[in-house]
Amino acid sequence: MLENHEVCGVDVEPWQSAPQGVKVHIVDLRKKKFEDVIRTEKPAAIVHMGMLRPFRSNAGIRHDVNVRGTKQLLDHCVNHGVQQLVLVSSGSVYGAFSENPYYMDEDSPLSASRSYAAIRDLVEVDTLACAFLWRYPQIRTSVLRPVNVLGHSVRSMMAQYLRQDRIPTVMGFDPMTQFIHEADVSEAIALALEHGLQGVFNVTGPGEVPLHTAIEASGGRALPMPEFVMRALFERLFRWGVISYPPGAIDYLKFPNTLSGERFVEATNFRPLFGLEETFDSLRG
Amino acid sequence: MEPVAEKRGGITRALSDFVADRLPMATRELQAEIEAKLAQVPNQLNEFGYDPFGLSPDWLCKFVLPGLILYRHWFRCRCDGLEKLPAGRMLLVANHAGQLPFDAAMLSTALLMEAEPPRIVRPMGEYFLPRLPFVSIAFARSGALVGTPGNCARMLENDEAVMVFPEGVRGISKTYDHAYELQRFGLGFMRLALETRAPIVPVGIVGSEEQAPGLANLERLGRRLGLPALPITPTFPLLGPLGLIPLPARYRISFGEPLYFEGDGSDEDEAIESKVELVKRAIEALIERGLAERRGIFSG
Repeated sequence: MLENHEVCGVDVEPWQSAPQGVKVHIVDLRKKKFEDVIRTEKPAAIVHMGMLRPFRSNAGIRHDVNVRGTKQLLDHCVNHGVQQLVLVSSGSVYGAFSENPYYMDEDSPLSASRSYAAIRDLVEVDTLACAFLWRYPQIRTSVLRPVNVLGHSVRSMMAQYLRQDRIPTVMGFDPMTQFIHEADVSEAIALALEHGLQGVFNVTGPGEVPLHTAIEASGGRALPMPEFVMRALFERLFRWGVISYPPGAIDYLKFPNTLSGERFVEATNFRPLFGLEETFDSLRG
Repeated sequence: MEPVAEKRGGITRALSDFVADRLPMATRELQAEIEAKLAQVPNQLNEFGYDPFGLSPDWLCKFVLPGLILYRHWFRCRCDGLEKLPAGRMLLVANHAGQLPFDAAMLSTALLMEAEPPRIVRPMGEYFLPRLPFVSIAFARSGALVGTPGNCARMLENDEAVMVFPEGVRGISKTYDHAYELQRFGLGFMRLALETRAPIVPVGIVGSEEQAPGLANLERLGRRLGLPALPITPTFPLLGPLGLIPLPARYRISFGEPLYFEGDGSDEDEAIESKVELVKRAIEALIERGLAERRGIFSG
């Protein structure tokens, strides 16, 4: 990307290992200063992946950054002539339920918040972007919903979960879970920009395995516990700030939330470079 | 870390060797027979040994073993018409009875162990099954899926053999005074067969009604307990958990000629119903023939 385009970043913290030639602006998405960055840089395309993922004791901040931050970013796109937008949402917006069909397509309802209120902000961001997509057809917008992203620098909930040595799981459940390497997600974003994609796309990786297999393959050890123990434990530990998974996340350890990435593959010929084993290895490497 | 891991692996291995050594010779032979059959079935496993829907032949092999023992020595199943099974996708439609789904297990065992070439049946299960701990894992590893139209269509498009019981709970938990009377059929299976152009194989099962004849069904109490039904049989709940053991009625599984239907899966109910009626009649005929040929409930 760097060869043909000028790339700059926006974050609230400095990026120590930024590649040469990438300028990083330290601003908050919600602040006026962010609009100034867009005004002066005049980007042709914006990739929005600046969602706060880890859960904190203050759910309000997360919701504000993610939902209001995204809304303002969308407004800036309209006001400052941005031609292309790629929003990186998440495959978890569909929710994990026992009645989920396997390999859901992009038209499946975003039901995650039915049992997992803590990620309703991600569902709202996704919905905002989808509405934007129809409202401003002159801006080529694509919403990408990747499956669980793993990689050395990934701080997503699934990555943090699998990085532990002893990993609590729900006794008697072992859902099929899909994974993708962070580098393949970057490739998918680049493809979305190159093809000027417009629409909503699931992005799937090299495949899927039962959760316990993923735990073993990435070097951890599963610690199965009965569901009622786990729920009680998670509720308390989360409230006290010891762990960063809200109890609603437990459903993703019980039921499948598998996506079909066919639409994206048809549009871009995307093929993940990293296999399952390499993807698991990348977590602790 | 490493020695610990090795030791654990060692203990597990030692344990499984210990158990394997003490299994009767005949059981080990059965196991080898099942493995040989499973090896003949084409599959789409990944490098970890799972298909995209969580089926694992290694696990399946262990589930089939008790099924095969029941098949040969408890229910002494007799099959006819297996040679009529079409290649590729098919929708097996059977009558459902006997309080616990041994009929599903026997039908799947028949297709794996007796059909040529052997087939792994993909059962379509009830929504509540994946919500039960351990059942949920066994469910997925043995190739079952929640019976949503999407899952079923995907399986048929993958040219799998899908098994459905359109009577559902109405059939399996009926009382013995309605033995071998087909209950109302759901219509979903016919819509899927039309959409995916899959042949329907009618299957009549005789013997399942006698494995646990229902005297009454305390449906309301059952619902309170979160169960779809609560049957009373001569042995359950009288004998407690032992009462769940089925009586050794002899099974007869008859496969009919595959039925090919033409039409639109999104047709109105009336149009679908007339086609479903044909399937129902085919199953009825198979059951009647099976009952007529049967000389004794237990001797077959």
